[in-house]
Parts: sequence; C-alpha cells; structure tokens
Amino acid sequence: MMKFDVVIIGGGLAGMTAATELQKSGVRCAVVSEGLSLHNPSTREFKAAGGTLLNGDSVTGGEFEEGRLASVRTAKLGDVTLEAETFILATGKYFSKGIVADMDRVYEPLFGLDVQYDSDRSTWFDPSFAAPQRFLEFGVEVRDGKAVKDGEVIRNLYPIGEVVYGISSAQGDTTGQIRQSALDAVQAIRRI
Amino acid sequence: MPITNDFDVIIIGGGITGAGTARDCAMRGLKVLLIERHDIATGATGRNHGLLHSGARYAVKDSESAEECIRENKILRSIASNCIEDTGGLFITLPEDEESGYGLDYQKKFLEACNKAGIESRAISPSEARQMEPSVNPSLIGAVVVPDGSVDPFRLCAANVTDAALHGAKILVYTEFLDFIRQNDTILGVKVLDTRTGQTAEYRAPVTVNAAGIWGHGVAEKAGVHIGMYPAKGALLVFGHRVNNVVINRCRKSADGDILVPGDSVTVIGTTSTKVPFEECDHMEVTPDEVRLLLREGCALCPALASTRILRAYAGVRPLVADDSDPTGRSISRGIVCLDHETRDGVKGFVSITGGKLMTYRLMAELATDAVCRKLGVKQACTTADTPLPGSLDGRIETVSKRFEGKVSLGQKSAAGRQGDLVGKILFETEADKQLVCECENVTLAEIKYAVRELGVRNLQDLRRRTRVGMGTCQGTLCIRKAAKALAEALGDPSAADKLAADYLDERWKGMRAVGWGDTLREMEFMQRVYKFEKPYSYDEV
Amino acid sequence: MQERNISSNNFEQCQKCSLCETVCPVMKNNPDYAGPKRSGPDGERYRLKNGIFFDDSLKYCLNCKRCEVACPSGVRIADLIQQARIDFSHKAPKLRDIMLASTDQMGPVAGAFAPIVNFTLGLSPVKGVLDFALGIDHRRTLPKYSSETFVHWFKKNAASKQASFRKQVSYFHGCYANYNYPQLGKDFVAVMNAFGFGVQLLENERCCGVAKIANGMIPAATRDAHANMEAFRKSVAQGLDIVTVSTTCTMTLMEEYPELLKVDNSDVKDHISLVEQFLYKAIASGAVKPVWKEGWKARAAYHCPCHQERLGLGIFTVELLKMIPGMQLTELDSNCCGIAGTYGFKKENFKVSQMIGKALFDDIAAAAPEFVACECETCKWQIEMSTGVPVKNPVSILAEALDLEKTSELNRA
Repeated sequence: MMKFDVVIIGGGLAGMTAATELQKSGVRCAVVSEGLSLHNPSTREFKAAGGTLLNGDSVTGGEFEEGRLASVRTAKLGDVTLEAETFILATGKYFSKGIVADMDRVYEPLFGLDVQYDSDRSTWFDPSFAAPQRFLEFGVEVRDGKAVKDGEVIRNLYPIGEVVYGISSAQGDTTGQIRQSALDAVQAIRRI
Repeated sequence: MPITNDFDVIIIGGGITGAGTARDCAMRGLKVLLIERHDIATGATGRNHGLLHSGARYAVKDSESAEECIRENKILRSIASNCIEDTGGLFITLPEDEESGYGLDYQKKFLEACNKAGIESRAISPSEARQMEPSVNPSLIGAVVVPDGSVDPFRLCAANVTDAALHGAKILVYTEFLDFIRQNDTILGVKVLDTRTGQTAEYRAPVTVNAAGIWGHGVAEKAGVHIGMYPAKGALLVFGHRVNNVVINRCRKSADGDILVPGDSVTVIGTTSTKVPFEECDHMEVTPDEVRLLLREGCALCPALASTRILRAYAGVRPLVADDSDPTGRSISRGIVCLDHETRDGVKGFVSITGGKLMTYRLMAELATDAVCRKLGVKQACTTADTPLPGSLDGRIETVSKRFEGKVSLGQKSAAGRQGDLVGKILFETEADKQLVCECENVTLAEIKYAVRELGVRNLQDLRRRTRVGMGTCQGTLCIRKAAKALAEALGDPSAADKLAADYLDERWKGMRAVGWGDTLREMEFMQRVYKFEKPYSYDEV
Repeated sequence: MQERNISSNNFEQCQKCSLCETVCPVMKNNPDYAGPKRSGPDGERYRLKNGIFFDDSLKYCLNCKRCEVACPSGVRIADLIQQARIDFSHKAPKLRDIMLASTDQMGPVAGAFAPIVNFTLGLSPVKGVLDFALGIDHRRTLPKYSSETFVHWFKKNAASKQASFRKQVSYFHGCYANYNYPQLGKDFVAVMNAFGFGVQLLENERCCGVAKIANGMIPAATRDAHANMEAFRKSVAQGLDIVTVSTTCTMTLMEEYPELLKVDNSDVKDHISLVEQFLYKAIASGAVKPVWKEGWKARAAYHCPCHQERLGLGIFTVELLKMIPGMQLTELDSNCCGIAGTYGFKKENFKVSQMIGKALFDDIAAAAPEFVACECETCKWQIEMSTGVPVKNPVSILAEALDLEKTSELNRA
C-alpha cells in the first residue's frame, strides 16, 4: 500500500493542472497516468515539487467504504494499492477511455460511476459531420463537484475535465473550461 | 441544346454491367457512349462483399447459376488478375446446423452438387480447416474447400471503363439520364443532365442499353416498358483489418450474414436481404438490428469478430427481377435477365440487362452486346473472355513492384497492388511525390496525381474508389485535409479543398454512425477533435 | 482478446493519434525509419495481406517500448514490430549480431581471458578491426569482462552463509552482473543479507534472451526461455520468490516470453519482482527495517530506463531512494539514452544512438549530480561514455547508504 493525500487518476491537461496546483501547496499527490504522461513539460513542474508520477500505469478499479473511495488498484503495481483522503478522476472521454460506449450503453469503466447519456442511440449523432454531436456531451454525473455512484454521492471523488458531462474539447477549444474545472476541484479540496 | 448523333450504342449506368458492356461493345468495333449520373461503381457494384464466387453457394438449388459462376470465376482469374485474390474458400458446418437439417448429410449433397457443376471441391477435417484458416470457428464439425476468392469491384469496374475508353468509347460520368428521345415505337437516344454544370444535352444512337441496376426500373418506365424489379437491400460490415485470409461461408441454405470475405486490407461480413421501397434506394442507412444480426452470424463463422473493431457499415441494393414466365410476378429470377424490348414490348432500339451478379458481369455484358450487335447487324465475336484487362497483364505485386528503380517503398508496393501493371504510369518525380498522403492505405501523392490524370477523379469519393485513400483504420481522420489539398491542386482549383474534405467527411461519418460505439466511437471523437479544434494537441515540446 | 485471430494483437484499436510518433526516439533522428505507427499497426494491416509489405526499415526500431507506454489505446506497438521481424526477416543474423547477442556464450570465453580481452578491446587498431570487419562502432567503449564471474565469487565466498537466513529468495543475476560487473551482484547479496534474506542461485540460470530476440535469433532465445522457466518453477515450488536486478531482463521474462516467444509464464509471473519493488514493499509494510549510515549524503539524478517505464515500476525506485535521509534526488525527464542494448553498438546506429541520447545528456548536465541513479546496465554504459557522470545501480546506492551491520542486527531478530 502507498499512501498519499490526493491520488489523481489521469495525467492529461485537467489531471496535471490539479496535481501541480495541489502539490505546490504542500498536498502530497500521486498521478497515475498512461499515454500523454510522456509529455515532459507538463509533468516537470509536478515532479520538481516532489509529486509522485506513476508513468505508464493505469488504475483498474477501487475499493469503496461508506460513501467514499478508499483505495485504487493499478495495472502495474500488483498487490500494492494506492490510498488517499481524496481522489480526482481526470480520465477524459471516449478516446482516453474515461467513459466507454458499447452497443447499448455508456459507462464509466473504473468504478461504475453514474453516467449521463441518452439511451436512444438515434439521438447520438447528427448526420452532418460539421454539426454539433450529442454523444460528445455524455459524461459522468457531478453533484457538488463530486461523483455519483448508484445515485449516491461519493464524497471524496472529484471528476474534472472531459470525463464530466457537458465538457468536450472535440467541439472547439475548451482548454479554459477544462482548466477551470480542475481549479474548482483544487479549491474544494483545499477547503477540506 | 447540343445534339450529338454519332454513336452506335448508348449505355446507361456506370456500374460493372454498364462498364463491361461498354468494353465489349467497344472491342467489337462499336462507337460507344456510357453515361453515369455519379461516378463509376457507386451503386450495387461498389456495395457488396467483393466475393469471387466459386458457384458453390448455388450448387444445390440452382445448378445453372453455379455453372455460370465457376466458368466466369475461371475467366476472371485469367483476365482480371490484378482485381482478384485467390484466397480459396471454406464452407463450414457447425454443430447447430445438424439440428436445422444442414448437418453433414447436407454437406455430402453439397459436395456432389458442386462437383456436378464443375466446381472443384473437397471435404476436409475440422483440424485441417482450423489449420487452413486459424480464425474459423473452432467448433466446426466439417468443411469443404472451394475455389472462392475475393474481387475488388472498384478496380474491376475502373479497368473495364479504362479499356472501353482505350477502344474509343466515350465515358460521361456525373451525367444523369433524364428521358428518352423517341419517335413512335423507336428509341432514338437520350436526354441527359450534366449534374455539375446543370447543362442538358441529347445523344443519339440506334440502340440504347439500360444497365442501371435497380435504377433501371425507372429507366425502363421512361421508355414505357415495365420490368418487375424489387430493390433488395443488403447491409454489410467492414472490419478494421484482415481477420481471415480464406473466404468463410456457412454450408447451409443461403441466409443472412453467412459470408466472410477478406478483401484488400480488411474483412467484410454480409449480407442481409430486405425488400425496400424504391424511394430508399438513394439513401440507404444500416439499422442497429442489421448490425446485430450481421455480428451474431459473423461470430458464428469467426468468433474473433466479436472483439474486432468495425470500421463502418454500408448497404447496397440488389436488383431482383420478377420472372417473366410467372404472371403473378412473385417468383424471382436468379439468373441474368437480358430483355430485347422490341420482341418483348414492341419498343425498338432498347435493350435492358439486369439480374445477375458482380461475378457474372462479363457474361451479362456479352449477352447484352450480342443483342446490340444483332440489332445493328454486326457480326463480331466476343473476345472479352480471352483479353486481359488493363493492369492485369501481370497482376502480381511481387513482379509489378520490380518496375521501380532502387529500393521499392511501401507506397510503391501498395500502388502496384492497386494499379497492377499500369503502375509505371505513376510518376515519382519529386521527393514530395513519394510522401504518403494516406498512411493507413499507403497512398502517395504520386498515385493521387496519377488518379486525377488518368482515372477521371473529380472528388475525394472518386479518389477513394481508385486508390483506397481514407479507407483505412482512421477513416480519413489524419489524411483528408492532406488528400483534399493534393486533389484540389491536381484538379487545378486549390480553393476547392475545404468543400472536397467536408463532403468526404459526411460520407465517412454516415458509415461510422451505424457502428458508433467502442473503438469506432473513439475514432469519431478524435475525428471531431481533429477537424473542429484548431490546435488538437500541442506536440511542440515533447 | 482475439486468441483465434490470425493476428493475436488487437492493433486496430490504434486511432492514428500519432502520440507514439512524438515519443519515438528513433523517428526524430533517423529519416529512414517510418516510425512506430507505420511500422506497427499500419504496417501490420498490410503484412497480414501479403508478406511483401514487410519493410526492412523495421530493423531501426530499438524496442525501447516508449511507444507502448505512450499509446492511449493499449496497442503493443513494439511487440508488433518485433513479431514482424521474427516472422518476415529471413536474413541470417550477421556474425557481429551473434557475437553481441550471445552474452552468456561470449561471457565465459571472454571472462577467462579478461585481462587480454579488455586490453585488446581497448586498443584502437583492434577496435578498428571490429569496426571494419564486424560493424561494431569503434567509438564505443565496449563493456569490460570481469576475470571472476559473480557466480564463481558467490560459490566461493557467500553461498555457505546463505542457509542461516530464515527468509530466502532466488536471485536472477543476469549476464551483466555475472560477467561484466560482479560488484552489482555482491552489493545485492550484501543488501539482501542485511535485511535478513538469504540469497540462492537459480538452478542453471540462462541469459534472459533479450539480445538474441533483438538480433533475430529466436530459436536460441526460446531455448533459454524454457530453461529459465524451468528454473523459476523449481524455485517457486520450494517457496522462493525470484528477485531480479536488471530492468531489461525483467521485462523480457515478464512480457517478451509470452508475447514474442510464446513461452507461457503465467504460473510464475507473480513471483518475480525487481529488487527495488521487492525492497520497497518489504520496508513499506514494516516487514524489514533499514538503518541508514549517519551523515551519508548524495546529490543524485534518477534516469528511468525505457523498459522500467514500460514495466511501470520506476515508482518503486524513486520512493525507495527518497527514503534515504541524505539523498537529494532529481527526477530527470522521460527520455531514451539511445543505446537500447546491442542497438547502439552497431556501426550503422552509432550516430543516431548519440543523437537520441542528447536530450538526456543535456538534462543530466543541467542537473549536475554527483552520480546518476539507474537500474539499467546498458543505460549506464551509454550515460557514462557520453557524459562522464558515473551511474550507480540503486542496489549499489543502498549498499553504500545503508549501515549494513546495524540493519543486519535489526533484522536478524
């Protein structure tokens, strides 16, 4: 078991923004990041501030206790779990598998969080490529900044960035919106 | 309105039947005009399995079709080697087929019928079948090997058109048939519309051939004759890569989704069969139920399909023709239908060629050309069965690739596979010419320039049918901007690039929407991001 | 997964996002290499159709696996490339490649004449001959061979003491610790013993086979893999976990055996761990306790080897080194050093190899550490040759920083 104040799942724009802000204010953070984490400039500041980067690893699931996420497992650490007071979910949308669509449904693959989507597939797409596309809005439900599972708020799990319903960088430049959702979570966590 | 009067025959429809007929007529010395409202191979020709039938599928029920198929199969192998791949085929029997009466007893009957029709076939053990095609459903209880193959319909159609043109035929694409010019009971020619300029024109010839596939129904109506046609929609799915290298069929009565064909860099499963209204023929959408059915049946042939990415779905319309001998119009003719409307309906100068299948296009063309020649009193014999098509004089990639000097690049090898022995016409003059525009299908700038110069390409869809540009895993996500720019420049109008790209993206989007989940949906999100977000990623300082 | 597919890899998950290209160290520096996307998933679609689409430029891939780490779709890009080389490259390996690859066969021969070999390898005319005749670059400092192998030393000096420890592990030392740098093995034994673990050698350890795989000697590599698996199974059956020190050997045992050599390791995989992972877990769980040397101080920079990144285990090394009170540790940016095992030794690759490493060398120069901490032996050769900064294996750092006697006393109880 490894223990941190905050574990951030996902090392993209949202995840690294939140992690770097928190780590710089003395909160001990670990970022679990696949793919984009090889992007050195965004991780440099975080590592220099003493943050722990689990490069090339990915979260595979977690343990819930009384309405909170207690720990997460990763693909590479085997029986070593990551424990934290607070978790941030910054896993993005379909492309980075933050949410997954199969033929009949859209789901959040790591924890089975509640996802807002339209079950009628015929509404997902506009025939015109250039028109706004409904499926790009889908994402996890957020209540008071926190994730929801089976209708109950998970009180220490904060989804940020594109995994959240309504945020999609595929419809235009939403860098500001994504960064803001990260900073909002940072504010909320600092207040704890 | 300009009137041109110097053709012997006008052919309506630039599908494989029209293309083949144009070639045959031109080779027999006729002055030919072919009109096509879109590009060549846009109807059922480009929307099927691409299966080079051995005929085995028809052997039990329709020995005539089976014999026709195996004859044409052998002919196409010799005249269209660049369009054909000799994959071989399997007809497999699954445990559940025993219950539905298509078990190993049926296999025996099937084998006998195949051999009777002249289709070389032999039964092999399940383990031999698994060895021959590792992706086959391992629970099979029997298999028959047949001489199936795959055929690239775009290439085949283009080769016929090219050869027709080489023999003097005039080819007008984006030219829509509007009406006949007629005098009493004689068809004198056609009125057409250039769909790009909006100009109309008239062309005259003593004989007009209706080779418009399902749309031939409407063409015939304009001549005042009725052909009892039914549009039968067939939906198909394209998988991301080759899952099998041998055609896999189900050894039972023909049913939905029982043929799995490896074609070029992908695998295709099909097909369904649903009667649809004529109005739908121009706007075919594949439904979720069709996708489910194809996947279910496909997985029975090859379980790996369950976890293979589906690139897209598409549908074509078969022109089913009611048998003239049945007054109720209920029985469907399975074979080739060649109608001389003078003897059948009293309309002179008009022939319809329909029914049949991609496989038998050459024979259809021969029959139609024979009818034309009879009308014109021309006594030239058909030579299409012995004359290789352009590009197919030497169809092997291995030998064609050797035409390039020095180290042969992937782009050059891929071009050799597509263009066959015409590959020498692709000019790699500059470094830029060697660069890949489409990385999934290895299409170089030089090949695009060649397609514009020699193959009558006007837009990206046309380009795709000639070169496979944008047909790979990313469905154009990474290449369409580049391809549109290259094409616009080659066409001499650089400002057209955005419009070309937008049209193409809508077309790709349609095929992807039908299978929009899993990795395909991920690609769709990525595609949206690439085209709608100015700076999708910043890679500056990795 | 698609076990029954003609391609066992789900490569069409590739979305063409091209992230792999941005992290490929070779593509940036060698225009002849088409890059991971085109050599891997793109190329595979065409190779499945016809073997003629196999491209010779796949040999430029150094199998650093950075593309796989970067891939957001989980495509095993480097494996696809290695597999294609195995399946389609029918050129016989050159004598040079066989010599570089046969680490365990050249080792014993060279070791016996180590002073002479080292002397002759160091002479410029000899290097010139190697360069000309074999294509081993003359600018390379070739790894030195030790006159006494680790195994020989162990049997003579340490083996008899091991039985006295209550807890036991098996040690996969690898060719490097055995033939080139026995001190690493000695450090390993010292550290493990201090924490109360007895060290046992595996029965008949063979080379992991990575260099043979890289040089197309698949049957030989597969024989080695089977022999090692047999040794692992015997060890596990006796209740002994296997601890390794070499990153690349570990990646080969864990990943390449099943993926490329089709040698099943699922029954023992969970019993194999890198020493840093093993010790971190033991210390973090309180099972063992370290006593650090008073006043020991060091300013180090950690370079995570590419294969360590692929294994996802770099975090254990970092967290372990951070435990040392006197350690001032800088984590270097993720970059490839450019050597990639035998790759950088080949004449045709030397220049590219150095160009690849430049970002890392510059980063090290800027950090100006006393030494670089790194688990990988070939990174060590490359970094030391190119920067002059010494490279220490984390195990050797522990051997220095631990008060071995006091640790040993504390953990004996």
